[in-house]
Amino acid sequence: MTAVYAGPVQRLIDELGRLPGVGPKSAQRIAFYILKLAPEDARRLAGSIVEVKEKISWCRRCFNIAEGELCQFCQDERRDRTVLCVVEEPRDIVAVERTQEFRGSYHVLQGTISPIEGIGPDQLRIKELLTRVRDDGVTEVILATNPNTDGEVTAMYLARALSESGTKVTRIASGLPVGGDLEYADEVTLGRAFEGRRTLDP
Amino acid sequence: MHLGRLWLRDFRCYEQVELALESGVTVVTGSNGQGKTSLLEAVAWIATGRSMRGVPDRALVRAGTDEAIVRAEIEHPEHRVLVEAAIKSVGRNRILANKQTVTRRRDLSEHLRVTVFAPDDLALVKGGPGGRREYIDDLLVNAIPRFSAVTTDYERVIKQRNALLRAGIRDADDRRTRDVFDVRLTEVGAELVRGRLDLIARLAPEIGVAYASLAGSAPGFATAYEPEWHDGPLASDEVEVALTEALARLRKREEDRGVTLVGPHRDDWALVLEDLDARHHASQGEQRTLALGMRLAGHRVVADAIGVEPVLLLDDVFSELDSQRAMALVEHLPATQTLITTAGALPEGIRADAWLRIDAGRLV
Ligand SMILES: [Zn+2]
Repeated sequence: MTAVYAGPVQRLIDELGRLPGVGPKSAQRIAFYILKLAPEDARRLAGSIVEVKEKISWCRRCFNIAEGELCQFCQDERRDRTVLCVVEEPRDIVAVERTQEFRGSYHVLQGTISPIEGIGPDQLRIKELLTRVRDDGVTEVILATNPNTDGEVTAMYLARALSESGTKVTRIASGLPVGGDLEYADEVTLGRAFEGRRTLDP
Repeated sequence: MHLGRLWLRDFRCYEQVELALESGVTVVTGSNGQGKTSLLEAVAWIATGRSMRGVPDRALVRAGTDEAIVRAEIEHPEHRVLVEAAIKSVGRNRILANKQTVTRRRDLSEHLRVTVFAPDDLALVKGGPGGRREYIDDLLVNAIPRFSAVTTDYERVIKQRNALLRAGIRDADDRRTRDVFDVRLTEVGAELVRGRLDLIARLAPEIGVAYASLAGSAPGFATAYEPEWHDGPLASDEVEVALTEALARLRKREEDRGVTLVGPHRDDWALVLEDLDARHHASQGEQRTLALGMRLAGHRVVADAIGVEPVLLLDDVFSELDSQRAMALVEHLPATQTLITTAGALPEGIRADAWLRIDAGRLV
């Protein structure tokens, strides 16, 4: 698209258009929304972008977001450092925390293996994971990547990379949402759950 | 299940039209280019969320407008569903079923199912393997919903693995990455192949019966699944092993070509009439009859699996059939509801319950 707006407006549209999920039309709409903002609102928005980049960085141990060197979980002495839960993104930690089940530590891969986007194992925090497993006496690694193709392939890659370490590697189960009724489960989830059924020991 | 009322606004050439439909056979007439096929296309959209002609949604929106509206009242034995769709030329469509938002396209099939017969169906027999794969996979997803996830997963594996091969396998990291994609391709690919094998086994006798009744004679019909990456017949319990072996055997060639050569995305299945391969050796008439027979058989298998007869949409199929075959086709149509478009007269002996005449996007 050729630039049709005055310099600063077009620059803003271009920047917004680089955000994930924002197409050219949305970028234009957001840009004009910002143009109409009260000056203090615009300054607060700009300020929060600058602030997040200045104050927040990656935890040097688990690569979660952190306000200092270490994230809140790595700072917490009560968390078990010998059990690691591996997730794709920081937002997945929030989901696992909501379960109130997990008292171990996290490791954030910051993505999945995806050749389409040119992301190989090298671009993920895999080397750092192997180092932690070796140096911290980790006894179990729980692979909690998403149950889709990219997540499964990444989990499989990790399971293989970790096989030499001798550490126990587990994969979270996927299947039916618990607490709901079968009649409300969608047919794909229920169909897959049938395929993956297991023997019930008496 | 049948379609009761249908409203269109700004859909293709239709500015605004309202139709009341009954169960049984409804014939839609009119000269070519007046909107007969578009009417069926709108019905198919309500059932599938996409055009049966494979065009993008924006092609369905009448020129000069932003959205097409299709509303359909569907009569079920115990209830009635109103499906409303706003099809946008830009942006997300909005679909409601009884005023509740429908988020997934595949959920539309809960309310309305259709089987489409179109004149270009000949390609199903005569054309490349892609059309036959699409036919079988569509039936698979319709008969067993789990396969909608299997086909999506499989497409993703192939896309990712092709990207990896295209970039080149240069070091140990790349090899290990390919290894895990191989495992995934084997798992998901085998699930898809097994699904196809089961379905083809159920379809083959139905196709034989449908062909015989359409052609008025009973030639032997046989079929065989033809994986490009495996010689000889393939049994359901051998698929995983065969895929693993083929991946090892073709590793070097895949690296050289930069593309995935092993897996169900490369497969075909043979259609054999009287010991001859109908894809290459049958007459045009036989191929057309076989294609119709395949649609009819697929319709039957899906109807058996889900316990509901889909609504049949026959788009201009009689122009290409002699009257004997046309009669045989109509005799085998299920009783629930059939919409037929035709530019000319109907073959003799075909009984229509209702007629609609379309002219320039208007009901006359
Ligand atoms: Zn941390």
